[in-house]
This record gives sequence, C-alpha cells and structure tokens, in this order.
Amino acid sequence: MADLAIPISGRTPVASYLDIAQIIAAAREANAGALHPGYGLLSESAEFARAVIEAGITFIGPAPVAIELMGDKIRARNFVQRNGFPVLPCAIEEDDPTTFVARAHAVGFPLLVKPTLGGGGKGMRIVRDPNSLEAAIEQARSEVRRYFGDGRLYVERYLEIPRHIEVQVLGDAFGNLVHLFERECSVQRRFQKIIEETPSPALSPELRTRICEAAVGIARAAQYQNAGTVEFILSEGDFYFLEMNTRLQVEHPVTEMVTDVDLIAEQIYAAAGCKLAFSQSDIASNGHAIELRLYAEAPERGYVPTTGKVLLLEYPDGVRIDSGIMRGQDITPAFDPMLAKIIAHAPSRIEAALQAHRAVRELVLLGCETNASLLARVLADEAFLSGQFHTGYLEENPHLAADNFATGLSAFLASAALLTRPVRASADAVPELHAALGSWRN
Amino acid sequence: MYHSFEVDRVEHRLWLSTSQQGYRLHLRDQVIAPVAFTHHSESSGILTIAGESEPVRFAIDGDLIHLHIRGRTRIVRYNDPLRALTSSNDETRPLIARAPMPGTVVATTVSPGQSVSAGMALMMIESMKLETIIRSPQDGIVDRIHVKEGESFERDAVLVTLSEEGR
Repeated sequence: MADLAIPISGRTPVASYLDIAQIIAAAREANAGALHPGYGLLSESAEFARAVIEAGITFIGPAPVAIELMGDKIRARNFVQRNGFPVLPCAIEEDDPTTFVARAHAVGFPLLVKPTLGGGGKGMRIVRDPNSLEAAIEQARSEVRRYFGDGRLYVERYLEIPRHIEVQVLGDAFGNLVHLFERECSVQRRFQKIIEETPSPALSPELRTRICEAAVGIARAAQYQNAGTVEFILSEGDFYFLEMNTRLQVEHPVTEMVTDVDLIAEQIYAAAGCKLAFSQSDIASNGHAIELRLYAEAPERGYVPTTGKVLLLEYPDGVRIDSGIMRGQDITPAFDPMLAKIIAHAPSRIEAALQAHRAVRELVLLGCETNASLLARVLADEAFLSGQFHTGYLEENPHLAADNFATGLSAFLASAALLTRPVRASADAVPELHAALGSWRN
Repeated sequence: MYHSFEVDRVEHRLWLSTSQQGYRLHLRDQVIAPVAFTHHSESSGILTIAGESEPVRFAIDGDLIHLHIRGRTRIVRYNDPLRALTSSNDETRPLIARAPMPGTVVATTVSPGQSVSAGMALMMIESMKLETIIRSPQDGIVDRIHVKEGESFERDAVLVTLSEEGR
C-alpha cells in the first residue's frame, strides 16, 4: 500500500511513534507536503499538530485548538454543557482535590472513574460499592499516570444498560459541517470495541435525526474542521455527550461502506483547503455495514493478549479487509492487539451479519490465537441478532467467550495424527494383520 | 503404542493403524475408520474421516500443529515421547509463578528471602495496555525473581521461583 517507508527508532517500539522530532524529520526527508497522523499514538496530540504545522507541513486533521479543547475531557464536557447539549452528572477532581471523594459520593452510584487525558479504556473503572470508591480512584490514578504522564481524574454517573453510539462529522475550512450518520459500538470488552455497525438497531428515525443534529451542533460550536467523531451514551431513549475524538476512528469503514464517501480522501481535500463537495442532503445511508475487529487475544482466558508468528494467512472473499499483518510476521505484545478488520456490507442487517459470520469463519490465520471464534459466536447469538444488546453484553454472557474444544475434536486429532510423521510411521511399521487384532499389544 | 497429543492443555492418547483404505484412528475406546489425508499444497489438504471430507488448512511449527477446519482454529501439540521422559522426573521441582501472557514487568512487590502467603501479589505485569497482578500460587519464601522491572517475557515464562517454608 505504501510506496515509501522510512524507519524510525526509539527505546521501545511505542516510544519511536511518540517521537515528534523524528517523525517530522522523516516527513521532511520524504518531501511530504502533508501528514496524516493515523489513529492512536500522536493522532490526538495538539503539540504534534502544532509542530507539524510549524515545520511547514499540512496537518491532515482539525486545528490544534480543537484537538486541545476536545482532548481534555473535562474542558470538552464543560464546553458541550455550556452550549446546551446533554452531559452526565460528574465530579471533577481538579475543581477542588480536597473534596473530590465527597463530591464523587454526591454524584451517586454506580459511578465511572475516568482519566482527564487519554483513552482506550485505560484507567476506567465502574464503582458500584461506595466503600470501594477510594481504592478504585488510587488504582486508576497510578495506571493513568504511567500511560499518559497525567494522573488527573474525574468521576461520572454510570448508566446501566448503556449503548455507545457515535456520529461521524466532517467539516471544511469554510464552516461547512455535515454528519455521516451514526455508528453503533456497544459490543465491547474492557471498554474497547469489538464489533461496530451502522445504522444502529437502537435508534428510531426521530432519535437518529436528534443525535446526528446534536453531533453537528457540538462540532459547529467548536468550529471543527476535518473528520471527527462525537461519542454519545444512549440509555432509555436519552443520549448524553461522552467525548469527541478529533481524528479518524478505527471503525470508520462502516460509514464509508453505507455512505460511499471515502473519509480519508475527504480528510485530505479538507486539509488542502477544498470546499466540501456535498451538502447534508446529498448524503444517504444505504444498506447495513458491520465491522469485526480481529484481535490477537484469547477470549476464553479472560481476553489475555496472545503472541506468535503468522504462519498462514488467507482472507475470505466478498468482504472488505483492512489489515496490518502479513504471513511470516511476528505478533508481539508491543502495540495494540488488533490484527485486521473485516467489513461486511449488505442490504439488510441480518444479511450483513450472515456475510460477516461466513467471512470470519473462512478467514484462516494460523500461528497466533485470535478472537475469531468469539466473533463468530456473537454474530450467531440471538441477542446480537435481535439488536437487543448494550456495552455490558459480553460481560453478562460469558458463554460467548468460552470455546467448546470438544466440537469437531476427532477431526482435529485425526489431522494432527496424520500430519505427524512418527505417528504414521509407527502405524506403517505394524503389519495389518496385527493391527486388526486390536490393541492387545499395548 | 499410543501417541500423546494435547488440545487446550488436555491430553488425548491415540494411535493409528493401517487399513485397506488408509488408516484407522484409535481414540480412547472408539475406532474411527477410514481416515486419510490428501495434501493439496504445503498448507492445505482434505481430511477424509468416516466418509466425510473436510478441507483443512495447516501449519506445523515444531511440535505444534496449527489447524483450521470448518471455521475453527485449534493448536494441537504433539508430545514427543523423548521429551516427555526428560521433563517428568523432577520431584524437587520448585514452586513457580508463570506468566499467563507475554508482556513486561511494571513493578515487583516482593524481594528474595521474603515469605509470602498464597494469593499475595508478587509483581504487576503489563501487556498490550492491560495490567495484571501475578499472585503467589501458595505459601512459601521468594527464592528468585527472574524478570526485572521493565524487562519483557513470553507467555509461560517463569517470573518468580518460591521455595517451601522450612526447607
């Protein structure tokens, strides 16, 4: 895909991707006119965006001031509330650290402890028992401090049976802002998404219009340019602003499939100063798209990360595959466990689910355990197919994570036996007559 | 003589015998016949088992046979009889805490010579943004810490060795 690769180095693999000076030097060396920050790592760093711009390179993303506003979760929340959009009750530590715990109790339980900076579920904890609040705060703080170098926290009211709905927005430098409908991302483990889809089975047409218009309103208030995602929590027909991601999302392909808009191309046009080529009424959502995230992890062992080497890799036909791996590659614990994404698109939700189910079973990846069988079980699960699920779905249905090793066992053992030379050799060494007498020799 | 294979840490004993159309698979108290494997490429083939044909994708890595059949992936370990003999005879085997996943040591909370009780935290490890506490498998004295803070390790690596109290 890339026509040029420039190595960067660091003390650890992650450190090299956080080295702003080195990345800008590489962009200069390649004579790059613009830089796309991808997702994760420095993609939501205002400091990085500023450094890119100061180096005379176009940053493909929003203005640094918008990254700063939305990157600080508390500032973002207060900003959204001031502009008249719904947010959840919360208590912010830095308002007055000495009364933080008391104010957290006043918000009411259950609570969610969250870091001011960062993402990816890091440092987040649900607290149901008031007695465990202080311990949860301390644990979250130590985790967050190590990951983001900033231990600031806040607590937010936690809604039971919540659904995670986000809206894709796109803006140009002329104040034009559109939404590209929502994505449903409620199938999660440890606050990380596993399956995303659009449209959401939880939204009525009326609620869809309201949530998408709220997203555009928030982006407009922030004078947002380029691609961004406004995340909401939906519970019992009400939605609340969670946060805004000032970058492209991992799950952007489902939006591309149903709207036929190439989001990365639009990001580049917007960064180049082009006017949006379409208005809100030109954008339609066609059919249903589902994305599966193939992770290097073992759901049956508490979703622990797995490692290995890709010994064999075969992708299924008829679906879109976005992948970062090749045959022969080592899967290490250095980065994220995501290996590839499978994106199905069909006229209806049930057809998209069937297509995704077939694809994840046909995908062959040998050498590293993956979550493929979990994905297949979810896609065949009644609750998922009925659309009645929420962010606690996998936790409440642990049977989905459990693999039944007895299924098809004799086929696996027969293949293994026939593929193992010493096993065949000892059979071949025994004359057929003796073998026919059975197992008396043992 | 039987051969030993392992799937998901469960041992399965089996052997093959020849028959007119391939092999018979002797598995516990059942015999499945005929079984045969036709290679199509270095990584694919067709398993014939009791009249059914199953397309198989496979990769062999030492003792590990990675298989994909009917949408399922399994790792089958062949327990080489020679290796089994060398590792089974260790009565003096120390108590050890192993890594449940590959990762890096974030912090060690005990030091050699310290006595620990079952369930006590020995160290905190981190892997792919996930933190896990390694706890003592039982009462004992910390003998050795094998991986220093900041160092990384593979799954199943020995992290901490313990000795029994009063030994």
